[in-house]
Amino acid sequence: MNDSDGDKIEIFHRVNRLKLKAGASLHDGAGFIDSGAINRAQGIIETKQSLYPKIVEESLRKLEKSWNNFKTASSDELRNSSMEEIYHTANHIKDLASTFNYELMQHFAVSLRDFSERIDVTRKEHHIIVQAHNDVMWVVYNENIKDHGGTKAEELKLIVAKAIEKYS
Amino acid sequence: MNKPVEATQMSAVGNKQKKAYSLSAFRILVVEDYPFMADLISTMLREFGVGNIVQASSGNEAREMIMLFNSDETSRNKIDLVLLDWLMPDGDGLELLKWLRGHKKDSIRFLPSVLCSAYASEDVVVAGRDNGANEVLVKPVSAQKLASRLLYVIDKPRPFLKVPGFFGPDRRRRIEEYKGTERRITKAEDIKSYHERL
Repeated sequence: MNDSDGDKIEIFHRVNRLKLKAGASLHDGAGFIDSGAINRAQGIIETKQSLYPKIVEESLRKLEKSWNNFKTASSDELRNSSMEEIYHTANHIKDLASTFNYELMQHFAVSLRDFSERIDVTRKEHHIIVQAHNDVMWVVYNENIKDHGGTKAEELKLIVAKAIEKYS
Repeated sequence: MNKPVEATQMSAVGNKQKKAYSLSAFRILVVEDYPFMADLISTMLREFGVGNIVQASSGNEAREMIMLFNSDETSRNKIDLVLLDWLMPDGDGLELLKWLRGHKKDSIRFLPSVLCSAYASEDVVVAGRDNGANEVLVKPVSAQKLASRLLYVIDKPRPFLKVPGFFGPDRRRRIEEYKGTERRITKAEDIKSYHERL
């Protein structure tokens, strides 16, 4: 290894202030967080599960609004801006659905998020793919489909997969 | 029922008596653009006993918060740890990390940071580390995962390195030496000689 001045490596061993602040001494071994606190924290996720339908509906409406703005936008710049909103909203839906184990919604949210990263906003065929995602996500929401399995879930996944295959 | 989370995730057998941490003196900054997730994470931290939680909904807001709390190196109210989301519309988590690690003040550039990512690929973990994250938490967030990442930062702090093109926690994990009895059937020398014969 070259240790000339330009390639100098500096190593900083800092005092572990977090450990001290947590009430331990520097020589103590690994500590833990009270299991009761962890259980209560996990319980919060379960309590908030009842809010999922309302919040996901709001996000789907936001997605729809951004998509409508995209379709009526007068320039590529505005279309790109709307698509960025769609990207972030899809990512939020993904976070929400994965937290509460809504696998199918998570699947489509990830698919839309990833597609909106590579979309060519000038290609009409690509718009069909986004529309297909929007449509199936509403169906998943309205019919409260949670898991990947099941005939309806497979059918919806096939619709999107075919749209991507045909119009990509 | 969840077990108490330890940074090592190892059995306590043979270790010194473990200490329950009190996080009441901690101030943690949660940087998350999605209010629902920001509140969920903050509420879980509160359950862990974290005394002070501040939220920022964008990279820019996070910078302002960090400057507000951590500019004074001698302050006792500094932010102790940042939990930051990777994907945000207004300057993403990686940009914020770069800003932190490039800052001239020690109270900012050494600030422990956990990057939360919605992507689960190894590339993301590597990118997080390459940009100076202490730890990466792959979403969805659970109480166990969150506690585990906090404990890693507290119990396994890595030294910071400054090398050309990088400043941040050492990207290599320390390899613990195996202290148990030898259980291998084939000796290391035999493996070496086998390879030499090929």
